[in-house]
Amino acid sequence: MLPKAEMVHWLFATGILLVGLCLLAEAIVGTEVWRMRPWRKYLWPGLAFTLGLLLWPVMAFFTNSAIHMYAHGSWAEVLMLAGGAELGLVHGRLKSRWWRLTWPLAFAVTGIAFIVHEQNPWFFARSAFLHHLLGWTFLIAAIVPLLLVWRPRSPALQSFFALSIVLVAVMLYCDRDVAPVFGHLSPLAGPPHR
Amino acid sequence: MRRVAVIAFLALAFPAAAAAHATLRSTSPHFAKELQRGPAVVALHFDQEVKILPGAIRVLNSRGRDFAGPSRVQGTTVSASVRRLPTGSYTVRWQAISADSHVVSGVWTFGVRVPALPVTEAYGAEGPTNTEAVVRWLWFLGLALTIGSLGFRLICLRGLEVPLGLDRRIAVAAGLGCVVSLQAGIAAFSLRAEDALQLPFGRFLYGDLSPMAQTRFGEAFVTMTLGFALVLALVYLAWLLDRVVFFVPAFALSLVFVAGLSVSGHDAVDPGSSWKTEIADWVHLSGASLWIGGLATMAVLLWFQAPQLRRAAFANFSQLATVVIALVLAAGTYLGIVRLPHLRDLWMTGYGQVLIVKLALVSLALLWGAFHKFVVAPALQRGDAGFLSRIGRSLIGESIVGMAVLLVAAVLVDSKPPPRPVPSQPAQAASQR
Repeated sequence: MLPKAEMVHWLFATGILLVGLCLLAEAIVGTEVWRMRPWRKYLWPGLAFTLGLLLWPVMAFFTNSAIHMYAHGSWAEVLMLAGGAELGLVHGRLKSRWWRLTWPLAFAVTGIAFIVHEQNPWFFARSAFLHHLLGWTFLIAAIVPLLLVWRPRSPALQSFFALSIVLVAVMLYCDRDVAPVFGHLSPLAGPPHR
Repeated sequence: MRRVAVIAFLALAFPAAAAAHATLRSTSPHFAKELQRGPAVVALHFDQEVKILPGAIRVLNSRGRDFAGPSRVQGTTVSASVRRLPTGSYTVRWQAISADSHVVSGVWTFGVRVPALPVTEAYGAEGPTNTEAVVRWLWFLGLALTIGSLGFRLICLRGLEVPLGLDRRIAVAAGLGCVVSLQAGIAAFSLRAEDALQLPFGRFLYGDLSPMAQTRFGEAFVTMTLGFALVLALVYLAWLLDRVVFFVPAFALSLVFVAGLSVSGHDAVDPGSSWKTEIADWVHLSGASLWIGGLATMAVLLWFQAPQLRRAAFANFSQLATVVIALVLAAGTYLGIVRLPHLRDLWMTGYGQVLIVKLALVSLALLWGAFHKFVVAPALQRGDAGFLSRIGRSLIGESIVGMAVLLVAAVLVDSKPPPRPVPSQPAQAASQR
């Protein structure tokens, strides 16, 4: 018995929202204050790694099209890689700042996978619109973690990074809605269910 | 370069021009269903409206005769009437046109008064191909690296002062093995589905793989994917926290989940299979992985990274290998007897000929191993330091032979064993009594 696809999206939206809120909190109070409790530095990288791990069941159980399976698999891998690299950096196991390149990589791969695997055009329904918007948000926002490789303590960049992840979470909450977007709903989409 | 960038940008900016596919939600009859009488109608329910061409649904028997009437579409449902079906297994092949004129396709099977054939044996299915053998080999290598490196650390280096750097490298090797296993699993599942669907790549991307996921192989793929993702996480924690204790559950889980291949291969589904052949196959596979992967770990990581442990590790691995090889040979001999009912099958059938090549390579590896056990190990015990510096390359050579054995094993898995002789009537009656 598999949970409905929208429930799975809500679960991951919640996880990603938590990651974004942790990052936002760190950007607001500053890294030194955020890390005054040692466990806090592991919080958002650990969450990201765990979300990557939890994406494997999504890949394995939702096989109603090959391209969906590959998209979910690619997200699982890049999220585990980026979360794992960040955990390694905060723990001191990894030293090179180049490991932070895993985040722009994760954003780029995720964005491309979102755009390529969406099967319908922008105004087909709200869900299709949000899939395209998610893809482009990830692709454009990839520049922020890329700049963070050189300016890891920049409050502005940290804030943009956090807000882009919060934005992604909000979009994920409603990206399964078969509902009109700006008044448009394709007659091919079936009856609205949100 | 600029042109490529512009094309890539346009492709991403206007995906609507290249995508608007419908997704199959449910079917009637259901995948792999055994029915008491043939269905009057076969129906497919999509998530959005579709269009059809003549022959959108075909209901084919084992000879390719089509029993479906004209297809019709009503909203999101495509259906076709079906003529009276005699007893047998049937293949449904379907295709529909999405809103953007692209084609979505799929295949599933059902049975009338007999169990449905697996979708991999649907009418029109082909394979396996040479690519599948290569992917299977990579899968075996990944499993061997994971199981072998973890087993080597936990069994052969137990109680020794292992440098932190070596533990971390072993964790990296085991993690790499997990990643290779996961990727190869996805590729193997996709290729197996492609064999059944028989679609060009562009259409395959939108092919429905869910009937494939409900086969034994599909269930094994799902289970192994989840299991090895968990093993990867445990190995990562061991690396991050410098805690070898995480290797223990990782090793145990990898031994458990490697059984996915044993419960979905020849030794689980072919005639003559039983729980005994499944266990024998698991012993064979996990033992070979421990032997070959452990040897490679010792040759590549320990020999050059921790020379102070060479003597003790070599002695411990020699003992472990003796037990493991005995188990591998015993299980392999039993499976060979089950798979090849007659001795002549060994040279008369393709399966037997591949097995001969495998046996030749195994013999070479055993001879090499015997040299290490009976010549090198006693010399090391006597304190002959010369061997310590020279034997590294020899260990790598034995490891390469082991990897070649895995390649032939991958070809063997994708080969069809000879059919088993049908028991005579009196013998059948006796067995029924």
